[in-house]
Amino acid sequence: METIRKILMMMAVVAVAMFSMAASCEKQPEPEPEPEVKEYNFDLYVCAVKHGGMSKNKNGTYVRSVPALTADQPRVEFTGKGIDITEDYTLESITRGKYYYQVPQKATGGFVKFHIERNASGEETIVEDAEVPFKTNVFDARKYTHAWIDDGATLVLIGTDAKHTSVFWTKLAESNLAVQSEGTFNFTLPENYGSFSTAGLLTYRKSDNKLFYFYMDKVKSGITDAATSVTHITVIDPATMNVESNTTVPGEIMEETAGSAYGELMQSMIVYDEADNMYVAGLRTIDGKEMGILRRIKAGSKTFDTTWNGFPNPEGKLLTIQYLGEGKALCYSRDEALGTKIDSKSHFYSIINLSDCSRQRVKYNGQDLQYCGGRFSQRSAVVGGKAYIGVGGETEGLEEATYPTIYIYDCKTGAVEKGVELSKGFCFDIIRAMEAK
Amino acid sequence: MLFRRLLSIILALASCCVCARGQDTLGVWGMLKDTVTLESASVTAKSKEQRLREGAYAVSAVGIKAQAATLQSLTQAIDRTSGIRIREEGGVGSDFDLSINGMSGNSVRYFLDGMPLDAKGSGMTLSNLPVNIIESVEIYKGVIPASFGSDALGGAINIITNRQSRNYIDFSCGAGSFHTYKADFSARYGSRKTGIVFKPVISANYSKNDYLMRGVKVRNEDHTAFVIKDLPRFHDDYLSLFAQMEAGVENRSWADAFFLSASVSKIDKELQTGANQANVIGMAERHTRSLNLSARYDKAGFLTEGLNAHFSASHTWDNSQTIDTTYRRYYWDGTYINGSYSEIRHRGKTLRLYERPLTVLRGNLDYRLAEGHNLGLNYQLNRMGNRQEDLWDEDFGKTDDVLAKHIIALSYEQSLMEGKLDNAFFVKDYINHLKVGQNELPSTTGASEVKDSDTKNYLGYGMGSRYIFSEPLAVKGSYEHSVRLPISREVLGNGSTVYPNVALQPEISDNFNLGFFGTVDLGGGHLLSYETNGFMRLVDNYIQATVMETEGMMQYVNVAAVHIKGVDGEVRYDWAGKLHLAMNASYDDSRDMREFTQAGQPSITYKNRTPNRPWTYCNAEAAYTFRNVGLKGSRLRLSCDYQWVHWFYLTWAAYGSASSKSKVPTQHITNASILYAWAQNRYNVSLECTNLFNVLAYDNYMLQKPGRGFYLKFRMFLQ
Repeated sequence: METIRKILMMMAVVAVAMFSMAASCEKQPEPEPEPEVKEYNFDLYVCAVKHGGMSKNKNGTYVRSVPALTADQPRVEFTGKGIDITEDYTLESITRGKYYYQVPQKATGGFVKFHIERNASGEETIVEDAEVPFKTNVFDARKYTHAWIDDGATLVLIGTDAKHTSVFWTKLAESNLAVQSEGTFNFTLPENYGSFSTAGLLTYRKSDNKLFYFYMDKVKSGITDAATSVTHITVIDPATMNVESNTTVPGEIMEETAGSAYGELMQSMIVYDEADNMYVAGLRTIDGKEMGILRRIKAGSKTFDTTWNGFPNPEGKLLTIQYLGEGKALCYSRDEALGTKIDSKSHFYSIINLSDCSRQRVKYNGQDLQYCGGRFSQRSAVVGGKAYIGVGGETEGLEEATYPTIYIYDCKTGAVEKGVELSKGFCFDIIRAMEAK
Repeated sequence: MLFRRLLSIILALASCCVCARGQDTLGVWGMLKDTVTLESASVTAKSKEQRLREGAYAVSAVGIKAQAATLQSLTQAIDRTSGIRIREEGGVGSDFDLSINGMSGNSVRYFLDGMPLDAKGSGMTLSNLPVNIIESVEIYKGVIPASFGSDALGGAINIITNRQSRNYIDFSCGAGSFHTYKADFSARYGSRKTGIVFKPVISANYSKNDYLMRGVKVRNEDHTAFVIKDLPRFHDDYLSLFAQMEAGVENRSWADAFFLSASVSKIDKELQTGANQANVIGMAERHTRSLNLSARYDKAGFLTEGLNAHFSASHTWDNSQTIDTTYRRYYWDGTYINGSYSEIRHRGKTLRLYERPLTVLRGNLDYRLAEGHNLGLNYQLNRMGNRQEDLWDEDFGKTDDVLAKHIIALSYEQSLMEGKLDNAFFVKDYINHLKVGQNELPSTTGASEVKDSDTKNYLGYGMGSRYIFSEPLAVKGSYEHSVRLPISREVLGNGSTVYPNVALQPEISDNFNLGFFGTVDLGGGHLLSYETNGFMRLVDNYIQATVMETEGMMQYVNVAAVHIKGVDGEVRYDWAGKLHLAMNASYDDSRDMREFTQAGQPSITYKNRTPNRPWTYCNAEAAYTFRNVGLKGSRLRLSCDYQWVHWFYLTWAAYGSASSKSKVPTQHITNASILYAWAQNRYNVSLECTNLFNVLAYDNYMLQKPGRGFYLKFRMFLQ
C-alpha cells in the first residue's frame, strides 16, 4: 500500500512537473515578428540645364515618383513628364514617411505639408495636407535646419534673422503643423565677428534625448574663408529648448560643418551608428584648400572625439554622408583637382569603414562609378538594406554621354548591381525614398 | 455749276495740301481714305497713315489724333494693332512689355519724333505720355529704316507729335475706377511775323490701382490658418507728372525749324508685387526724376540744294531711387509678419540710388541725287551711365557703369516706274561700348565674367521693296540683318525687380517680311482694305526675360537660337465715316533651334515653342458714329472692341508634365466706349468701360489685371 502510495506520489510529482514545464513553456516569449517590410516610392528630382540645389536651380525642377529603381524598370523619362515644382516649392525639403514639410517657394509666409500621388491620368501631382502661417519666427525658404523629436510627433526648426545675428526656433506639430512654441537663443557673437551661420545644423540624439545644434561665428554673412569661422556645438534640452552646453570647436578639429546655410534639407551631413555614435561631416583648411573631414561624437559625449577622423587624406570636400549599417557609411565627396564648380565632374561615391577609417570608391563590375556633377546633389538614398546611388550622365559631351543611371549597393554583401536609367538632357540631383503609404 | 466746279477744284487742292502736310482732315479713326463727297464730285486723299502703310517697309500706322478724346493711354491704341501685343503687369503705371511679331518688348525701340523716347526720362513710356500731343504712331516690323539710326531687332515705334502750324489749346481731364485721375494740357503759340513758337505741355496721371485681387490667400482672424478671399490692392499708388516747354523758330531762312526744349518728369510708384502676386509688397517704392534739355534743327537745302539736314542733341539727367528697407512679409489684407529679408530683392535692406545720365546725339543728312533717288547718312550716339550707391547698405560699393552705342547708317532710296516701285537699301554699323563698375552678386549678374571695359563692333544691312500692281493689290518685301544691343534695363537691371546681367550678348537676327495690301472702293462710301504680312525672324542670342524661381525677381538671359515664323493680317471696313469695322489676327511660331547644349548634349527644348510669350491673338472692333445728335455739328460715337489671347506656358513644354506646368490662361477682354463731341469737335466727353464682363485676366504669370473699370474723360480743343 505504501509502495502504491509512493508510486502515486511520484506520478503526481511527475505530472505536476510535466504540467509546470508545459505551463512554463507556454509562457516563453513568442518569436519576434518579422520586421514590417515598408513599401517605398522613389522620388527623383532633376533640374534643367544646370545642377540645382541650394537656390542654384534657376532653370526649373521636375519630380517623378517611381515604385522601384531596379534594372527591370522602364527608363524614367522626364521630357514632358514629372511635376514642375519650380514656382511653388523648393527641392530642398524635410521628409518623413510619405510627407514633405517645407517653407514653400510661393512665399505664403507659412509652412506646408504635402505628399505626391498620381492623378486620374497617371501623372504625379502634389496634394497639400496642411499649411499654416508663421507666428513670430519667420523662416525663409531653404534657410532653416530641423530635427524630429517626440518620436516624430514634433518638428523643431531653427533659423536666423535677416543679418544672421539672432538664432530662433519653432516647434511644430507633425500632424497639422500647428505652432506649439517658439523662442530665441541667447547666442552672442565674439568681437570682430559679424554673423552666425545662416541656419546651422540641428540633430536629435535619441539615446540621451538631446538636441545637438552646430553653428558658426562668421566674420560676415555669406561665403567666407572657412579658416576664420568658429564652430560651436550646443546641446539643447528638447523639452525646454534650454541650452545645456555650448562648446567651441578648435579649428584644427573642424572649421565648418559641411553645410551650414540650408540645414539637411537636401544633403545628409550627420549620421548615427547602431550605438548612437554621431558622425559629422565638416571641413578644415589644408594647404590653403578647404578639405573634408569626418568627426565623431561618441554616444553620451557632448564634444568631438579629437583623435578620430573618418575621412583622412581627403581629395577634396566631403559633401554628404549616409549610414549603411554595420560600421559602413556612404560618402559623396569631391576631388578638388578635377574642378570645384557646381557642375564640375569631380564628385564621386565611396564607402567608409568607420572602424578603421578606410574608404574605397564604389565600383561596378570592377570599375569605379564615374565622376558626377552636382555639388549640392543628394543623389543617393539608403533604405531596406540597399543604397541607391545615382550617377549623372548629365553634363558630358556628346560622345561620352551616358544615361543617368542608378546603381544598387547591397549594404550586407557590398555587391553592386546596375539599376534603372533616367532619360538624358536633365541634371539628376536627388533621390528621396518615400514611404508608399 | 461753275461754282460747284470751282469748289471741287478748291477742295481737291486743299486735300492735296492736307495730304502733303500729312494731316488727317476728317480724323475718322482708322480711316483709310479721307473722303469728301459733293453732289457731283468725290475727292479722296490718302491719310498719312495709309501712305506710310504703302511704303517699302512692313509698317503699321495708327492715327491717334482722332482717338485722343477717348484714349486713356497710348498703349490702348497700339495694343489693338495687328502683330502687336502689350502685356501689362497690373493697372495704371505698371511695367509693360510690348512685342512686335513675336519679338519681345525690349527688342523694340521707342522714338519720339525720331529721338529715343528714353531721352524724356526712364519713367516716361507709352503708358504715361500725354495722348493729346500725339498725332500718330508708326510701328515698324522687323526692318527699321536707316534714318532712325537704331539697333532695333523686332521693330520700332515712332511716336509723331502734333506739328500743326496753327495755334491751339488742348486740355483734357478724366477720372475713373480704382481712384484714377488724369489731366493733360498742351498748346501752341506762334507768331508768323517773328517765327517764334512756344509749345507747352503738362500732364498728370494718378491712380491708387486698388482693383480687386481675386482668390488670394490670407490668414484667418486668429492667424492660425489660411483662407481665400477677394481683396483690393493696397500699395499700388502711381503718380506721374510731366512738363515740357519747347521754344524756337520756324520757317526762317537759316532754319525750317530750330527748337530748344526742356522737360521734367516725376514718377512715384508704390510697388505691390514682385514678379508674381504671391510675393506681396507693402512698403517698397520707386521714385524717378528726370530733366531733359534738347535742341533740334531742321533745314531743307542745307548748304546745297537737295540736301536736307536734321540734327538733334539731348541730355537727360535721370535719377531714381528704390526704397526697400523693411523685412516685412505682407498678405493681401495689408497685414504682415516680420520676415528676415527685404521685400523686393529678398536680401538685406537697401535704399538704392541710380543716376543714369543719357546723352543722345543724332544727325541725319538726306541728299536727293536725282528725281526719285535719295542718299541718306545717319549717325546716332546713345550714351547711358549707370551710377549706383546705397544709402542703407553699408556693404554696397558705389558703381559706375557706362553703356555707349554709336550707330552709323547709310541708305539709298529710289522710286521708279512713276512711283509704282519703291526700293530702299541700307547698311548700319553698330559700335557698343560697355564699362562695368558694379560687382554686386557677381555670380548672378555676370559681373565676374566680363571685362571691366569692352568695345565691340557689329555690322547690319538690309533692303525693302514695294510694287503697286493696282489700288487693290500691292506687294512689298523687306529684309534686314539686324543687331540689337542690349538696353540698360536688360544689362543693368531696373533697380528693383530686374537683376542686371552684364554678360548679356547682343541679339543678331535676319528678318524677312513679305506682305500684300490693297484697298477696294466698293462705291457708295464703302471702303474695304486689307493688309497681311508674313514674316520670319532668325535670331541668335535671343534675349528673353526669365522669372528667377528664387525671390520672384526677373533677369534677361540669352537663348542661343530662336526662329520665329508667322503671319499677321488686318481687314478694315468703313462706310461713309459712320460704320467702322476692323479685325486683325496674329500668329507667330517661335522655336528654340539650339540642337545641342553647351555641353554638347542634345537639347531637351530643341524645337520647343519659346515659353512665356503669347503667340496667337486677335482683336476686333466695331464703331458707329451718329452725327448731329442733340446739337448741330455734334458727333456720337459708340464703339466696342474685343481681344483674345491664346494661353501659353510659362516654361518650356519639355519641362514637366502638362498638368503640373504653370500657364498664363486664355484671355477674353471686351471694352466699350461712348464718345460725344460737339462744336466741331471742340468739346468731347467720353465714357469708357474696360473689361466689360469683369473677367479674371492675366498678361503675365500670376499677375492679375484689373477687373471692370469705368473712365470718364472731357476734352477741349480750341484752335
